[in-house]
Amino acid sequence: MNADFQDVIKIKFSSRRGGGMKRKMFWFVLTTTLSLILLSGGLAGAQQKPILLGGSLPLTGVWAETAKVIQKGYEFWVEETNSKGGLLGRPIKLVIYDDEGKPDSAVKLAEKVITVDKVDLLLGGYPGTAARPVMPVAEKYKMVYVSMGGHMASFTQGYTYSFGAPPLMGEWWFLGGFQWLETFPADQRPKRAAVYIMNNPVGTALLPSVDEYTKKLGIQVVIKEKYNLPLPSAEPLVMKAKQMNCDLFVSGGVFPDGVMTVKAAKALKYNPKAYFQGVGSAIPAWTKELGEDGNAIVSGTSYHEKLNNPSNKMLIKRVKEKLNLDSVDTYFGFSVAWLQTLFAGVEGTKGLDQTKIRDWLKKNKVDTVAGTFTFDEKGLPPPFTYATQVVDGKIELIYPAEIRSHKGVYPKPAWK
Amino acid sequence: MFEILLLQSLVSGILMGGIYALLGVGFSLTWGVLRVINIAHAGFGVLAAYIAYSLLAKTGLDPLLSLLITLPCFFFGGMILHRGLIRPITKARETIVASMVLTFGLAIVVENLMLWIWKADPRVLKPSYSGTAVFIGEVGLPIPQLVGFGLAAAGILLLYLFLNHTHTGKAVQATWQEKEGAALMGINLQKVSEIAFGMAIAAAGLGGVAMAMMYTFDPPVHNFWLIYMFLVVIVGGVGSILGTALAGLILGVITGLCMAFIPYQWINVLTFGLLIVVLLVRPQGLFKTGV
Repeated sequence: MNADFQDVIKIKFSSRRGGGMKRKMFWFVLTTTLSLILLSGGLAGAQQKPILLGGSLPLTGVWAETAKVIQKGYEFWVEETNSKGGLLGRPIKLVIYDDEGKPDSAVKLAEKVITVDKVDLLLGGYPGTAARPVMPVAEKYKMVYVSMGGHMASFTQGYTYSFGAPPLMGEWWFLGGFQWLETFPADQRPKRAAVYIMNNPVGTALLPSVDEYTKKLGIQVVIKEKYNLPLPSAEPLVMKAKQMNCDLFVSGGVFPDGVMTVKAAKALKYNPKAYFQGVGSAIPAWTKELGEDGNAIVSGTSYHEKLNNPSNKMLIKRVKEKLNLDSVDTYFGFSVAWLQTLFAGVEGTKGLDQTKIRDWLKKNKVDTVAGTFTFDEKGLPPPFTYATQVVDGKIELIYPAEIRSHKGVYPKPAWK
Repeated sequence: MFEILLLQSLVSGILMGGIYALLGVGFSLTWGVLRVINIAHAGFGVLAAYIAYSLLAKTGLDPLLSLLITLPCFFFGGMILHRGLIRPITKARETIVASMVLTFGLAIVVENLMLWIWKADPRVLKPSYSGTAVFIGEVGLPIPQLVGFGLAAAGILLLYLFLNHTHTGKAVQATWQEKEGAALMGINLQKVSEIAFGMAIAAAGLGGVAMAMMYTFDPPVHNFWLIYMFLVVIVGGVGSILGTALAGLILGVITGLCMAFIPYQWINVLTFGLLIVVLLVRPQGLFKTGV
């Protein structure tokens, strides 16, 4: 028999002996103690039951470098949110599996986190080829899925729980660049375009914005060719553009063919007024590896660390304070924007009901580090990209004017 | 105007084909002489490209000079690799299949080693002459490709001279033609095999640096290079050094002509269609008299 129990017996005995005051005291102590136990137990219970946020990323394999940046972004934003009291007053716990960038693994792991781990919220995946097949899984289990998406086609399959916030949309890639060219007087704009596009879904997705805007700006497309990767040789492409006096060169490829084309253009002394590049020039390796040869190349993005919205300024400040980093990788920003969107839906509905979150997101504005978004039925914001240009080895924002970090360089200077 | 484009396409194609031939000759040598299909061959090429890149970035050493360090290391490294890994599997009943499985694993190890050291970021070898060209009329010959082609020509010529004009080279050829007979003549098969494998790995290193003069590279790129190596070796004839060289040039000419005459998206279809035709008509390759 322990000492506490002996005390209780003792009190009981005392009360039987007619101590009314003591009896009241006994009940007061008992109820107060029980209340405190229940209250503290309840709080402890809440602390022990975090909101589970899970999914997969290619943490190993060829996509691992970028995926780890996304992972860091996720972890950073979860820590930030937890330090401010969590979501709905509950801490967030992150569960990330490695899908190696394989679409089938991404699907299996999405099923696993939903049905086995029973996550409360689904995490956006990467790259587009792995994110796209997760969209029907999200639809099947009615889970909101905020990611980069695959490409435009992945958002036109009738999925209602998927959001691109922001998406990385090939179809929009050159919008910002052409809108930037539109700001110049008509007689100064390029007149003849050479358009070379890699022959895959990402490359061909670039064509609509090229077709629309070359027509709109009165630019004659004199070369429009697709090529298969790997590109065997870039000199013939460049020579053809040079021979046909093309003053706008659109290289709709990725890093390897983009670099080959730049090197060929420099070697063959081909100097167009404007040089557009697909995804290749948006990665740090472009400026690091090409040096000044990579300058003045125009591309697009839907997030940039130099965006001047309050949310992004706060992110940059916190990253500096917490991680002691002077710059933020593009994919770090993307991952934060995706979580901001998801969390805005949770806070907006004050709950974890996925259908309510989905409906809330489609009716309300969401502030993210990439900008303020509204979403249509497909889960996409209105078409946009920010035009970027490599200036003095740095990727700068050049359009729209209100967000630009540097004045665009036009016409492109001759190769040095 | 069309003539210039045609000449440019042909020149670019030939320069490219020569470099692929260089990468292919070592592969052809191990396949023909040792009956080893070295899936990791292009991986060693990428490794040499990374070493050249690092030496250039850190010490400013020109990639050509870096070969003075890389090639001996690759030659002796290849010999050690043969002794430790390749020799045991030559006792297998199906040496070719066993070698493919083994070297596939080796390729994964090499790729992951490069990922660990240099990460997955793509790299560009930029010597001082990068982005420069020699012009003949209006046709430009980029100097890095010319250097790569020069390496290819020198490498293939040296390998050819070694195999045909040195005692060890002739021993290598004898081993290839009649293994038991060569052994009966007193040729040390193990030593000859080690030397052949070492030379093949050194040729892979030379080819890798030549490829990096033209293309960007990252650890998994060896898989792409491997496809073209198979192409030139099969078309040229397994084990035939000159055949591989000529196949590389043919590949270059065809690619160049395709770039001038047909839409670019059909180039691979035509190139690999040619491979199918060669396999159907001359399964032993264009320049080999016997299988």
